[in-house]
Amino acid sequence: MSEIIVENLTHTFGKGTSEALTVLEDINLTFAPESFTAIVGTSGCGKSTLLKMMAGLYAPSDGRITLNGVTIKGTGRERGMVFQQDAVFPWMTVARNISYGPRLRGAGSKACAEIEKKWIELVGLQGFENRWPRELSGGMRKRVDIGRVYANDPDVLLMDEPFGALDAQTKERMQSDLQQLWQVTGKTAVFVTHDLEEAIFLADQVVVLSARPGRVHHTEMISLPRPRSAEMRLSEELLAIKRKLWHLLEH
Amino acid sequence: MELLKRVISGRFLLGALSICAVLLAYSYATSQPDNNPALLPPLKDIVGSFFTNIRAGTLFDALGASLFRIVLGFLIGTTLAVVIGCLVGWYKPIEYLIDPLIEAIRPIPPLAYIPIIIIWFGIEEFSRVLLISIACFMVCVVNVIAGMKNVPQVYVDAASTMGATRFQVFRTVAIPAATPFIITGYRIALAAAWTTLVAAELIAAPSGLGYMLQEGRRYFLTDQVMMIIAIIGTCAFVMDRAFRPIQKRLMVWSEMRE
Repeated sequence: MSEIIVENLTHTFGKGTSEALTVLEDINLTFAPESFTAIVGTSGCGKSTLLKMMAGLYAPSDGRITLNGVTIKGTGRERGMVFQQDAVFPWMTVARNISYGPRLRGAGSKACAEIEKKWIELVGLQGFENRWPRELSGGMRKRVDIGRVYANDPDVLLMDEPFGALDAQTKERMQSDLQQLWQVTGKTAVFVTHDLEEAIFLADQVVVLSARPGRVHHTEMISLPRPRSAEMRLSEELLAIKRKLWHLLEH
Repeated sequence: MELLKRVISGRFLLGALSICAVLLAYSYATSQPDNNPALLPPLKDIVGSFFTNIRAGTLFDALGASLFRIVLGFLIGTTLAVVIGCLVGWYKPIEYLIDPLIEAIRPIPPLAYIPIIIIWFGIEEFSRVLLISIACFMVCVVNVIAGMKNVPQVYVDAASTMGATRFQVFRTVAIPAATPFIITGYRIALAAAWTTLVAAELIAAPSGLGYMLQEGRRYFLTDQVMMIIAIIGTCAFVMDRAFRPIQKRLMVWSEMRE
């Protein structure tokens, strides 16, 4: 049960210099416990920056972000992140990647083996336990990435366009699988993307950011029933929301 | 036909081909009637010198003395390079402290230290090992630092968002990610060790392969000079090859081409 609140957040790169660039301005957002929020916006709207601030990789120049009332400062295992780039460690096998987090905290080999088995199964990588990441396709490596973050058991799952580099079919399967995984585990999820269909299909709440500087332009609650099937992508309800958000995205 | 093709395209055969071509050209040159064997000794004299020196025990003594210096200097130099390079490449304050010093010293050829080392420590075994250590250290440390600097940021971020401490990121991410660079550092250091060794022995040594080269020049034993050159080349080649299995084992995970 983890709630993230972004309060009066403004971020300026190079604050106080002549090249100061405000990327985020006056952001106020609430991410309810066990909710799935998608943040959409055109490139350069600061959505990735906002997510990295939640992860603790940057500190905002003004305002604050809290997790269950505590101001976020620095990275922490309670806020796991899946990156846009390939972040699977190539020098570890799939299984070792999955149990990386627990091993950091000194988990024994028996505990690790259990964790590996559980999450490899849940992300659908059975039979690839002892493979090197280079032997896997892009989609499978993303599964390792997601499994690794889940196996670390964070309270919050932050995802920065994780499927951006995948082909359309793989992407849709990954979205369905992610939805299922999220429903099983019930973590607070924040998903950054520029793909409206992806955002609507996955989220309870879609936040539209405007660009330069990024502000909250609109928040759309998505009440499509769950579990959402692949066909729902073509449903009138989803397309109507997509049309509405498409116009909001400053086209 | 199929078999012939396989043999011809074989790596070993192609490699042997180029060496044979050089040997053939060399023996053709020495077989010319106006060839002066004192300047260009025929192959059989070079091989003869090899066996003479083996029988006399001089070659093994020289080889042993040189290998001892190389191995010791290499181990000392590269070990220090890995330890210091990792720290400099990873921890900013250490980088700010030490990197300018390394950058300032780096362009100085190791051989430039010979006079000062002789003045300080004399023509001793220690001096030669010290010189080789310096040479190995300088070329290796630069690679180790580059390796640490090239650790992809996304791996560092991924580890820290999973709760890794700065030291855990260093141990579990930075060092393995920098391994390809570190191995390259080792290989370059090995080549530098040979270069420096021969130069050091030419100037100041009572034994070793470089000493035998010098002796060959002094007594006009061109065949001995040629033989030692071939020995040095072979040793350096064999040692570099010995690295390959180690490299392969440490780098199974990488996408590096064979």
